[in-house]
Amino acid sequence: MDYLYDGSFDGLLTCIYHHYYNETAAGIYQQEYYQPTLLLSSVAVCTDPTLAKRVYQAIEDKISANALVKVYHVYLSSSPDKEELILNYLRLGFKLGAKVDLYHSHSAVYPVHKLDRKVTAETHRFLGLLRFRDSGNFLYAALSPDHHILTLLADHFADRLAGERWVIHDQKRNLAIVYDGKGHCRDNSLLQFKWYLTNFSYHMQADLPPEESHWQLLWQHYFQRISIESRCNPRLQSHFVPQRYRRHLLEFQIPPLKQ
Amino acid sequence: MDVLTKLDILAGAAKFDVSCSSSGVARKNQGGTGNAKLFGICHTWSADGRCISLLKVLLSNDCVYDCCYCVSRRSNNIPRASFTSRELADLTLQFYRRNYIEGLFLSSAVEKSPDHTMEKIIQVLTLLRKEYEFHGYIHVKVIPGADPSLINRAGMLCDRMSVNIEQPTEHSLRLLAPQKSLPILYASMQQLKDQILLYKDDRRHFHRTPRFVPGGQSTQMIVGASQDNDLTILHTTQALYKNFGLKRVYFSAYVPVNQDSNLPALTSVPPLLREHRLYQSDWLLRFYHFKAEELVDANHANLETEIDPKSAWALRHPEYFPLEINRASYEELLRVPGIGTKSAWRIINQRRVVAISADQLKKLGVVFKRAQYFVTCKGIYPGNMPYNPAAIRRLMLPKPSFTQMSLF
Ligand code: SF4
Repeated sequence: MDYLYDGSFDGLLTCIYHHYYNETAAGIYQQEYYQPTLLLSSVAVCTDPTLAKRVYQAIEDKISANALVKVYHVYLSSSPDKEELILNYLRLGFKLGAKVDLYHSHSAVYPVHKLDRKVTAETHRFLGLLRFRDSGNFLYAALSPDHHILTLLADHFADRLAGERWVIHDQKRNLAIVYDGKGHCRDNSLLQFKWYLTNFSYHMQADLPPEESHWQLLWQHYFQRISIESRCNPRLQSHFVPQRYRRHLLEFQIPPLKQ
Repeated sequence: MDVLTKLDILAGAAKFDVSCSSSGVARKNQGGTGNAKLFGICHTWSADGRCISLLKVLLSNDCVYDCCYCVSRRSNNIPRASFTSRELADLTLQFYRRNYIEGLFLSSAVEKSPDHTMEKIIQVLTLLRKEYEFHGYIHVKVIPGADPSLINRAGMLCDRMSVNIEQPTEHSLRLLAPQKSLPILYASMQQLKDQILLYKDDRRHFHRTPRFVPGGQSTQMIVGASQDNDLTILHTTQALYKNFGLKRVYFSAYVPVNQDSNLPALTSVPPLLREHRLYQSDWLLRFYHFKAEELVDANHANLETEIDPKSAWALRHPEYFPLEINRASYEELLRVPGIGTKSAWRIINQRRVVAISADQLKKLGVVFKRAQYFVTCKGIYPGNMPYNPAAIRRLMLPKPSFTQMSLF
């Protein structure tokens, strides 16, 4: 039996629940992309938050909190067979408990660790590579990441730019994190981050407030002045900032300055 | 002079300073703008492939000193500029809220006198921390010879400080930077060390004790401007870590900017490979339990350039290998070329549950290409030939880059 879910994390966990308490899953697929076959029947699983919660808790208790984070990261990845990887990993995990993560080179563990590292690495990368511009009313940043990392970025910026209103827009997935600047609170204990994830396909106007152009120009100059010509090493630079990320990076949008 | 012109001049003058790291301090936003992360964040990489994390500028390049190796030296005829503290604070904050940078790296030429310059630096820091409530990362360079009370005041407002020793010996420093001297620099380092310890200790008892340079101190040495060999440089480095508890020692390959009889010619190329090997050795000192005297000695006073320092050590010590992966201790594993701190840790982890065979090493993050010659897995040597250090060396040397095949 193939299980089909709606694409949400809760949906995926609900499938895992049915795998254990109803019929074993031959595979789990996102409904949208499922290709029916003649050999296997399939069922669209209705997402149930209470069942999902129980699986969530079970992973944390019977395997480890760490494993839960890994599973979530793999779910956020854009790997086409992520559901299968998660299922294999959890099956082994429920057998072995927390020890599962010691089997680094096991075929059910290695791919999960690898994807987890990729998603974590991309998140970390975008903590730096994100660029905001000040539209006058709010800060706006666009990105097109390989993996769906928006929710992993949100807390960082909600703390760092606590007093600002901002939008972080994933243009690949037409989603955005919106933050209204109200989580700003002088009493540290009450600091709460009020951001939410939403569909978003708005396109920012190209013309910028003069104030914004001023700071952008300064940044572009800075970027070029800080480089040492006799150490020039474009290959190394490409290694750290791959071409696919440069579209959203202000400093890569300019012709070289005169020395 | 407008801010754009100043930025052009003062970023251009700061680019030879290497440290750009923003790590080592975790701080939440305390009701203003910004925070600091324990693990540094790079924001972009410039055309030379170096990470840009902090806004790295000089407050002024108008110097009264005359260090041979420096563009800003007094005797050079170049445009001079100085930021006002307001200009620099605005620049920092506006770059920061757009997420261009992780914070500020503030250095300066000696404008008028060390104390005068340090006072100006403190003004910028005060503006940022107090008026703008900026909680991002700030690294401040100690102006050589500045008064201890000023260093103390600056230290209360920033995350990391660095006293750059520039040269590994008093002799070279005197020769190239006549107004500087190692004892004075060491005195500032000692002061920082003592005060960092003092405040840390106090904070254990009194939660309200303010933080003093929580990210610790670092320093920088220019490589290739003087005649000093790697033996001298690495021993100085090791002593610096030991005596002053430094977080990092940075090396900067000398880029010829001035004509001077004490310096390499203007046409000489920066010794980038040498700098790279020094950094690798520095890692071995800090994370791999190596000692400087294991990497360089009187017979090998310079690091080999064509082979990395750990492999070079391993090839000089054949008696140590091959090591059995399933039995070697963590410290022993760290000595194997191709095994890093993370992969060593994974090996230890995995073999607690299942013995490791050679085909699994890659998945554990080991660079098999190098490690294969130095290990056994379950007693089997995976190196494709009997263990033979001379042959291994030949295999590990880089292929000659120019291999023209003769057709006849
Ligand atoms: S003190 Fe020496 S190194 Fe520093 S700016 Fe002046 S001349 Fe350059």
